[in-house]
Amino acid sequence: MQAGRQPPARSRGVIALLEENCTVCMLCARECPDWCIYIESHKEPVPGHEYGGGPDSAHAPAGRGRQRVRNVLDRFAIDFSLCMYCGICVEACPYDALFWSPEFSYAETDIAALTHEQGRLREWMWTVPPPPPHDEGAPPPPETPGHVS
Amino acid sequence: MTPEEITAAAAGGLPPSVGCEADHHGVMLRVPPQHWLTALAFARERLDCDFFDWLTAVDEAGEGLSVVAHVYSLAGRHHVLAGTLLPGSAPRLPTATGIYRGAAWHERETHEMFGVDFAGHPHLAPLLLPGGFEGHPLRKDFVLAARAAKQWPGAKEPGDRDVPHARRRLPPPGVPEGWQRS
Repeated sequence: MQAGRQPPARSRGVIALLEENCTVCMLCARECPDWCIYIESHKEPVPGHEYGGGPDSAHAPAGRGRQRVRNVLDRFAIDFSLCMYCGICVEACPYDALFWSPEFSYAETDIAALTHEQGRLREWMWTVPPPPPHDEGAPPPPETPGHVS
Repeated sequence: MTPEEITAAAAGGLPPSVGCEADHHGVMLRVPPQHWLTALAFARERLDCDFFDWLTAVDEAGEGLSVVAHVYSLAGRHHVLAGTLLPGSAPRLPTATGIYRGAAWHERETHEMFGVDFAGHPHLAPLLLPGGFEGHPLRKDFVLAARAAKQWPGAKEPGDRDVPHARRRLPPPGVPEGWQRS
């Protein structure tokens, strides 16, 4: 790529993580053919469900409801020294937490520095471009009324 | 030459034990090991296949090693594949360098990666692997060190830092039984 030229739409550079969307389903770590996504997590109770009387209290009597629990991400790292940029993780993620970014200038002298942790993966999110418009002749996107499924 | 013409020529010019399969891609000659050089010479002289593309081996787990060569005719624009099946324990084949000089590197690599001995090859020295490397990496029974030594990141369950595994761990896909160290 020459300096100053815009990379083409949907260029694949580095992979970014939007932590808010991640539910720690670990599908990306399982599907990665290179085993280069490292995830650690624990479970935390969600406060506010200890008692009934909520929106569906007609069906759930007042009193203790089931304690809800959610996954909390401790570590999400991608080892870009192993990554082959196939994009299987981005496609596999059911919650749109992983995104392609066209950035490519992250060469390092130390191979360990090529493992990007959560903070760095979030920084890459700010370089993710908005989705490009659909090509001419493409069927309308599912969100619009003209979509034929 | 069309696949039909090639099949007819092969039926006439090659020993009957050489099988010939034709489809829209080209022709595959199934050659017993003793007729290997005969088949390649036939392809070069009678089928006009003057371009040597590649030679490699396939580990047919259990059935042996098959050596396959791909040759092409530049004038006739037809492809010919020649394949032979060797026993897995001591695979030997005469060298094709007498017919196609370009086979030298391919046979050297196949010898290194699969352990096939090519009798009469001018220089069967290691090509790609570092000195002192033991084993033949592309054989199916060769354990891939990276898969054996590394813990599969996908084996973890969501939220399992504090909770021990309730159910059996999934094995990583594609890794044969017995490779993982734990």
